[in-house]
Amino acid sequence: MDVKKILLVDDDIDLLEQNKVLLESKGYKVVTAESGAEGWEAFQKENPDAAIIDLIMEEMDSGFILCHRIKKSNPNVPVFIVTSAPYTTGFKFSASTNEEKEWLKCDGILNKPIVIEELAAKLKNM
Amino acid sequence: MDEKSKILIVDDENGLRLGTERLLKEEGYHVESASNGEEGIRLGKSIEFDIAIIDLKMPDVDGLTVLKEIKSVHPNTVCFIATAFASYDTAIESTRLGAFGYIPKPFTPEELIYQIEQGVNQRKLILESERLKKEREENLLELANEKSRLNAIIKSINDGILVINKNAELVYYNYAALKFLDLTEIEIGSKILNILPEKVVKTINKLFNSGTFHVKSYSHQIELKPNNELIVEFSTTPIPNSDGSIAGVVLIISNITEYKKIELLKSQFVSMVAHELKAPLAAVQGYLNILIDKSIQLPPEKQEEYIKRSITRLKGLTDLVNDLLDISRIELNTKQREIERIDIREIIENSIQFFELDIKKKNISIETHFDENLPAIDADYNEISRVVTNLLSNAIKYNRTNGKIFIDLYKSHNYLVLKIGDTGIGLKPEEKTKLFNEFYRAKNEMTRDISGTGLGLSIVKKIVDSYHGKIEVESEFGKGTTFIINLPINIK
Repeated sequence: MDVKKILLVDDDIDLLEQNKVLLESKGYKVVTAESGAEGWEAFQKENPDAAIIDLIMEEMDSGFILCHRIKKSNPNVPVFIVTSAPYTTGFKFSASTNEEKEWLKCDGILNKPIVIEELAAKLKNM
Repeated sequence: MDEKSKILIVDDENGLRLGTERLLKEEGYHVESASNGEEGIRLGKSIEFDIAIIDLKMPDVDGLTVLKEIKSVHPNTVCFIATAFASYDTAIESTRLGAFGYIPKPFTPEELIYQIEQGVNQRKLILESERLKKEREENLLELANEKSRLNAIIKSINDGILVINKNAELVYYNYAALKFLDLTEIEIGSKILNILPEKVVKTINKLFNSGTFHVKSYSHQIELKPNNELIVEFSTTPIPNSDGSIAGVVLIISNITEYKKIELLKSQFVSMVAHELKAPLAAVQGYLNILIDKSIQLPPEKQEEYIKRSITRLKGLTDLVNDLLDISRIELNTKQREIERIDIREIIENSIQFFELDIKKKNISIETHFDENLPAIDADYNEISRVVTNLLSNAIKYNRTNGKIFIDLYKSHNYLVLKIGDTGIGLKPEEKTKLFNEFYRAKNEMTRDISGTGLGLSIVKKIVDSYHGKIEVESEFGKGTTFIINLPINIK
């Protein structure tokens, strides 16, 4: 699957802007949203090829919910969850086995800040 | 006492009585005499004589009766029975009734004086032993008082106390210990290790098995009720025997639930602070990385935008650090505050002047209503300034262009009431409850471009609380918000 258009969801407008620029510099088209609700709206409207979603957003907006919705609507769209939770809470997330992927629904967990080269390589392998 | 011993003579024989009286007076004694039994009883009872010499045979009342009567009131009077009819039986009977000696008649002066001296010594011994007895009783009473006082103190201590001997038997406890262990009663001498937490029992056993005494306490923090409802610290300290072995242990159980709660709040606060510090740093670092990346071509206006955003985030970071310093100052140094009589009107006017530019930029009009004859309040000028500045700054930041700010100041009972209202974006009901939480910021499409640390209102609340004041908020989403602060006029 050739990923061209990416949906970026993050409530930190600076990180959103930076990741957008970085992804655009790699040749992707980027759609942004600042909350789970906006992200769902953008997903339906823009039909992105992949989504990168912040895990914890304001108003207790969990990236997992949006991820589940996207996967339910189209299981073929790769979804990555971005989080800094392992650093701040000590909780570790992984989606390395199929069972974990099935449970988490997402295709991978990315640590903040996103390393764009890593992400691009992952998207290429999808 | 020697020279002044008081002696009573009871004898119906006038010659003998007077002769004896004269003899003893010459010897320096105080002497009184009675010529019959009745009188003897009356005199002997009326005051305590040191010594009484009582004739056995008298026409009205016999000597043994006189002796008995006197002894019934003054058991310490040393009594002699004098008689010409000495018999073994009367001797026994008089001794049984408490007579010290037996003086056979007739007696020589030397004999009498010798006997009286013996009596005086006896009297001395009796009085001394009485004194000692009384002293001992008083000491015992004091000791008993001391013991019960100590008991009362230990019983009223909030910490639980259990003393256990080497056989693991309970030797002593107080009521607090029962409460902590959730027991209604416990028997002295019962084996109680099975009702104590495992970790504590292990420590006790270790101490007992090691055998030798060391001055050291061991403490365990134990959750006695789940969900952190009751956390206690068991501190186990060995009690030494005189030979250096361990006689037992004393356990102190203290309630540390509140400390634990504070500890948790502190660590939550620290992790929140870390997160809040990291976010702006990451944002600035991200922009700098992009700006320096030669592979990314940015139009000049984008470059400028990124630099401006970085500056904004760094300013936010500085504000945050300043607010954090304020919070720690309020929490640590409330004792160092300088309380003086301050006029809040002056603070409000200064604050309005301070924000003049921002007020003009948004074209906000300010309406103030200050009651006449407002009292000054006792407070720290800087702290009250901080309250007014933070509230006014919010009223400007969250206001709309061409909006209004209302500032009311009036007295209500013993409080000065300050109301600061705006015609801004207002609060949703769920936002109102979180408003004073540290780092909480109302985030929606209207607040996106408003900077803030999320600490301003929590600082305001901390200050108001520290003056035993009250802060309330009234708000309607989309219409505006009003903060109402009640500050006691006299804080003493």
